[in-house]
Amino acid sequence: MNEDAPSAEVFEAPSHDEMIARFGRDLVNDFDLDDPAFNDKFDETLNYMVRKCPVVHSRVGRGYYLINTQDDVRRAAQDWRTFSSAKGYMPNRPEGLPYLMPEESDPPIHTKWRHVLNPHLSPRTVAGYEQPVRDDVNALIDKFIDRAECEFISEFGALLPGWAFFKNILGLPIDDLAMLVNGVEEGTFAPDPEVRGKYFGEVFAYLETHLAWRKTQPSRGDLIDTILAGVTYEGGTESPWAHKVSILVDLTFGGIATTTFVMASAIHHLAMHPDQRQLLLDDPSLIENAIEEYARFFPPVVALGRTCTRDVEVSGTTIPEGEFVMLTYAAASRDPRHMDEPEKIDVRREGIPHSTFGVGPHRCIGSNLARVELTATLEEWLKRIPEFSVKPGTEPTYVTGFLRSMRSLELVW
Amino acid sequence: MRMKIDDENCTGHGRCAKYAPNVFRLDDDGYNVDRGSEIEVPAGEEKTALLGMKSCPERAITIVEE
Repeated sequence: MNEDAPSAEVFEAPSHDEMIARFGRDLVNDFDLDDPAFNDKFDETLNYMVRKCPVVHSRVGRGYYLINTQDDVRRAAQDWRTFSSAKGYMPNRPEGLPYLMPEESDPPIHTKWRHVLNPHLSPRTVAGYEQPVRDDVNALIDKFIDRAECEFISEFGALLPGWAFFKNILGLPIDDLAMLVNGVEEGTFAPDPEVRGKYFGEVFAYLETHLAWRKTQPSRGDLIDTILAGVTYEGGTESPWAHKVSILVDLTFGGIATTTFVMASAIHHLAMHPDQRQLLLDDPSLIENAIEEYARFFPPVVALGRTCTRDVEVSGTTIPEGEFVMLTYAAASRDPRHMDEPEKIDVRREGIPHSTFGVGPHRCIGSNLARVELTATLEEWLKRIPEFSVKPGTEPTYVTGFLRSMRSLELVW
Repeated sequence: MRMKIDDENCTGHGRCAKYAPNVFRLDDDGYNVDRGSEIEVPAGEEKTALLGMKSCPERAITIVEE
C-alpha cells in the first residue's frame, strides 16, 4: 500500500556549467561515487543533489544510477519486486565475489533468514549487552585519558564496534579484529576492483574457517549456531554452506565497518561545537536523540544498490530494466521536503526521519546494537572527558565511495 | 485519535516505541506488535504518538481519519 502519489514536483534543472564550476563534473550525467571530489565536497554535493537532481547517472564501469530524494528512496527500498537485491548492492561488483545472504537476496529467501537472525539483534537482546559495551568504552578510555590526547579512530572508534560484536555476539577473538577491519576497508575503498576482490576473499576465508570450526564444537545457542542450523528454502531445499558463510561475512562487514564513522563524526562535531556539547552535558537525556541526528547527518552507508526488474520511472527519469540503481540514503536523510534546515546539525531536532539504517525489508539488522554502542560512547565519554577539542594543526581525513569512513581524528583535552 | 500500523512496511526500526512507549509496543523481534491493525492512542499521549509516527523511516504509521 502506497499512500503517496508520485511526486508531482518540478525540479529546478541544474545548470551544466554551474555543476562543472562547483563540482568539476556534470553530476546528473557523469556522477562518480569514487571521485575524490565527492569525498572532499561530500556535504555540498549531497545538499545540491537532493534539491536539484532527483536522479543522476554514472558512466563508471558498467554504469549505475543514483536516486536521491527521501520519497523516491523510500518507495524504491520498499518495492523489492521492482528494485531487486539479488544482483548485489555494490556498483561494479568485483567478478567472482559470492552474493552475500541475506542482504543480496529478495523475499522469500531474505525473509527466511531475517526471521531467524533478527532475534539475536533485537532491542530486547542487545539491551543485555549495554553494560559490557559500557565497560569496554571505559576500558578503551582508560588507556589514553591520562595522556590528554588520542587518535580517536585507531584508539577507540575502530575498536569498540568490533569488540561489541565479536565479544557479545560472534564469539570471535578480538585479536583478529585489525586484520578484518583492514580487509573490509581495502575491500571497499581500494581503487582497483581486483584488489577489492582480493581483500574480500581474505575476509571470506577467515570467517569460513571459523564457521567450519564452530561446526565441530558443542552448540552454544548463539547467532553462529543459528547460521549453522540454516533455513529451509521454498521447495524444501536446505540453505547451502556457501550461503551460511556469506551471512557471517555480511554481518561482519556491517558490524565492524560502519558504526565507527557515526561515532567519530559525533565526537568530532562535539569537539568543534561547544554549545551543542554543553546541551548534552547539561541534559544527558538528550544523547539518544542526538545520536539519531548524528546518524542522519553522518551516514557510513552513503548508498546501496538494487537492480531494476522492469523499466521504471523515478521523478521523471525512466530507468531501464536491468540497470543498477543506488539508493542514496545519505541524500535522502537531508531532504528539505521533510525537515527544516537539513544542512544544520541540531541535537534537539525532533522526529528525525532518516534513512541511515536503510529502509524496507533490508533495514540494517544491527541498528539496535549500533545505538547501544553510540549511546554508551557519548554518555561515558562526556562524563570522563567533558572538555576536548581537535588537536591544533590537524583535521580529520575521510575516504568515500558507496561507504564513507573517517581515517584519522586527533583529539586533545 | 486512532493510528494504523502497516503490516508489510513495519521492518523493526523500533523508533515508534522509543519515542512513544505508552502507545507503541514491540514484539520479541523488535517489530510493532500491532502491525496490520489499528490502535487507539491513549488520552494525553497524542504528542508522543505523533513524534513516534514521524520518526518511522518507513512511514508505516498513519492517522486513521474518523
